[in-house]
Amino acid sequence: MDTSGSGITRREFLGLAGGLMILIGLPRGLASAAEDAAEAEAINAWLLITPDNRVTVFSGKVEIGQGLRTSFAQMVSDELTIPFSSVEMIMGDTTRVPYDEGTFGSESTRTVGRQIRAAAATAREILANMAAEEWGVKPENLVIRDGRISLANDPSKSISLGELTQGKRITRTLKGEAGLMPASEYKVVGKPVPRVDGPAIVTGGEQFVGDIRLPGMLYGAVLYPPSFGARLTGVDTREAEKLPGVVAVVKEGEFIGVVAEREDIARSARGAIRATWQEAKPAVQASLYDNFRRTASPEDTVVDDKEVASSLSSARHSFNATYRTAYVAHSPMEPHIALADFKEGGVTVWSSTQTPFPHRDDLIKALNLEASKVRVLMPRVGGGFGGRENSDVAVAAARLSRAVKRPVMVGQTRAEELTWNYFKPAALIDVRCGVSDAGLITAWDCDIYNCGDRGAEPPYGFPKHIRTLGCDSPLAQGAWRGLAGSANTFAIESHMDEMASTLGVDPVAFRLRHLDNDPRLAKTVQAVAEKYGWKPRKAPTGQGVGFACGNDAGSCCAEIAEIDLDKATGVVHVRRVVVSHESGLVINPDGIINQIEGGITMGLGMTLREAVRYENGKILTDSFGSYRLPTTKDAPVIETVLVGNPTHPPEGAGEPPIFPIAAAVSNAIFDATGKRLRELPLSPEQVLAALRA
Amino acid sequence: MADAITIRVNGVERTLAVDGDRNLLSVFRTELGLTGTKYGCGEGHCGACTVLLDDQAVRSCVLPVSAVGGRSITTIEGLAENGKLHPVQEAFLEVQAMQCGYCTPGQILNAVSLLRRNPRPSEPEIRDAMSGNLCRCATYVRILRAVQLASQKLSG
Repeated sequence: MDTSGSGITRREFLGLAGGLMILIGLPRGLASAAEDAAEAEAINAWLLITPDNRVTVFSGKVEIGQGLRTSFAQMVSDELTIPFSSVEMIMGDTTRVPYDEGTFGSESTRTVGRQIRAAAATAREILANMAAEEWGVKPENLVIRDGRISLANDPSKSISLGELTQGKRITRTLKGEAGLMPASEYKVVGKPVPRVDGPAIVTGGEQFVGDIRLPGMLYGAVLYPPSFGARLTGVDTREAEKLPGVVAVVKEGEFIGVVAEREDIARSARGAIRATWQEAKPAVQASLYDNFRRTASPEDTVVDDKEVASSLSSARHSFNATYRTAYVAHSPMEPHIALADFKEGGVTVWSSTQTPFPHRDDLIKALNLEASKVRVLMPRVGGGFGGRENSDVAVAAARLSRAVKRPVMVGQTRAEELTWNYFKPAALIDVRCGVSDAGLITAWDCDIYNCGDRGAEPPYGFPKHIRTLGCDSPLAQGAWRGLAGSANTFAIESHMDEMASTLGVDPVAFRLRHLDNDPRLAKTVQAVAEKYGWKPRKAPTGQGVGFACGNDAGSCCAEIAEIDLDKATGVVHVRRVVVSHESGLVINPDGIINQIEGGITMGLGMTLREAVRYENGKILTDSFGSYRLPTTKDAPVIETVLVGNPTHPPEGAGEPPIFPIAAAVSNAIFDATGKRLRELPLSPEQVLAALRA
Repeated sequence: MADAITIRVNGVERTLAVDGDRNLLSVFRTELGLTGTKYGCGEGHCGACTVLLDDQAVRSCVLPVSAVGGRSITTIEGLAENGKLHPVQEAFLEVQAMQCGYCTPGQILNAVSLLRRNPRPSEPEIRDAMSGNLCRCATYVRILRAVQLASQKLSG
């Protein structure tokens, strides 16, 4: 754990080590990178090879549990032919790593991962050229193996990659295409390498933000309003200040926080603060979706194929429906937490964040600091899911630390975690479809309210008109694993299923009929059908089997869910999910399978049960008792096929598997009952109501 | 009010001068530096704070220190013996039953407790016994496999 604080600048840091440094930049960043490597923010990663033949990779992406620390190192190990254990990843430290907007969107592998792989390949080429020059031979007369370069016709002439650098500062910027190794030569890439952090995790040694202890550190608690939008009108902190163990009660505008020797004391003292509030007019949950329509204003037109309007009006069959999805919480097991150490006009903040650099920018702004005086570190985080982009807790810790001149840790309680962060947006999605006599979709017209455009475009090759509308949201909302993708895919794949069953066509065949434009997804669909042993069927069959598929983050995913439905209680249990996934070159198959299994099982929460409830400006679902996550009892058997495509670059896998699961389950409910549900979660109440209708 | 409370923690007698009403989780994390035990909810719902009281898995976030005076407690830091991982820890590693790793110590200790009272649990028994330990990464299929594997290891 690096607890050295902010006493090092990025420039100093970059000047520390000798060796070959490869800077990896986006094309537009190359010029500035060459001029001033230290501060060029267009650099996405850097890679350092030192004389001891070890490689350090500095990446702005962070490890949230998705295994990047392992999979990035696998790529570097192979491209440089050095042992996996000789690669070290430095992540989540705004002083030492290049700028990055954040770790989300299943982007890490497909952007920075690819760049790191290219940087390693480029380093190999540069070093080969250096050796060729020194020995007066052509690079093609050299062999590179096991981290050493040797002469092809005289293996006794040999030098390690690191020795070649002679400890000199050599800075090169990645330009153009790197000569990647063919996937067939990879030894570590494609293997289920165990995660490097596993041993520390199982022994309790992995250090999360809440586990850091600094000398003299104190604990803070923030005073939250009694309801959303309430404004502070008066406060009396005298009693809180008198409590033993309380160091200070800090008031800065409407921000009020307590600092104490212990967290429990800080929280009790907060309870002793007498504050008066002017509360806002609360939103009523029952009218949520009506309010979306009432307050909607057009945002974006995602696709605008001109023939949609005429095709809709002339279509032989039309299918119109509206889909709804609830607000959902991230609820990571580790609530938001930050430790701030403010000294000498600067601050170092360890924070449970997915976005260290935007965090740093928020701190600079909130505390009016110079950029070089703020350092954000993210050592390890207990789950992200898109919910760690807000910096409120980090800013609070920094304010309190500045006030008391000692390090202060602020962590949220579970109730605060479930109340004072943002949620996955609720969604309202209208779909209007036209289908020809031949059973082909001729028009897809879709309005998406409140949730955004991720996954809005069906992967199928029919004409589309899709727009998004912004609405007034009564709750704070933001990213959640896959953003709008799970809501949009629920609508798309439920609608596809309904059209197939109404037309009397097998649901898998109906998708494939519209997938001539997308051979990768078509192959992925065929792969899951084959694995499952899918027989053409006309739903409802009574068996409770549902299919859905989709594309995201460059990957393709198809899922078949089998359910048990208790007709007396309306409870749905997902028994088995068969899934196929194609994400180009697979870096770590076990890591991807872990993401797929987790995505599907987490997705069952929002599919069947999870919904944030609120009343009078308060979140009612503010504990694990009232907001029930999936448990071991909900976990289905999951059988995964990784569809090989090694010549395609590696794509994202953290989010795509969560997209189809809700529709696959809803389609299975239709298959079991002949009833179509159109609102998430697919609660027992909704199932019973549909059965009685 | 500070009380002197003696507990055996990971095989070592510790006398703590703390308010007996404080919960075990807070005392372990702040007074003993045993940070492998995690806060998840503070209400006994999620299992992130699970420790072993003798052989039994308990929720340290809702257990006052005064209730365990004279008893023996094992945290995740004390599970390996002489540097050798416990078979449940080995199984979690072999199956890679983790993502973010925050709930993992609690999962492991709950599994140890289950296997001590029921060395060969059926799958439904495992599902039932582990259902109070939440994992938001939802690695449950692997957790189930890890407990099954550990059961095999322990039964030799």
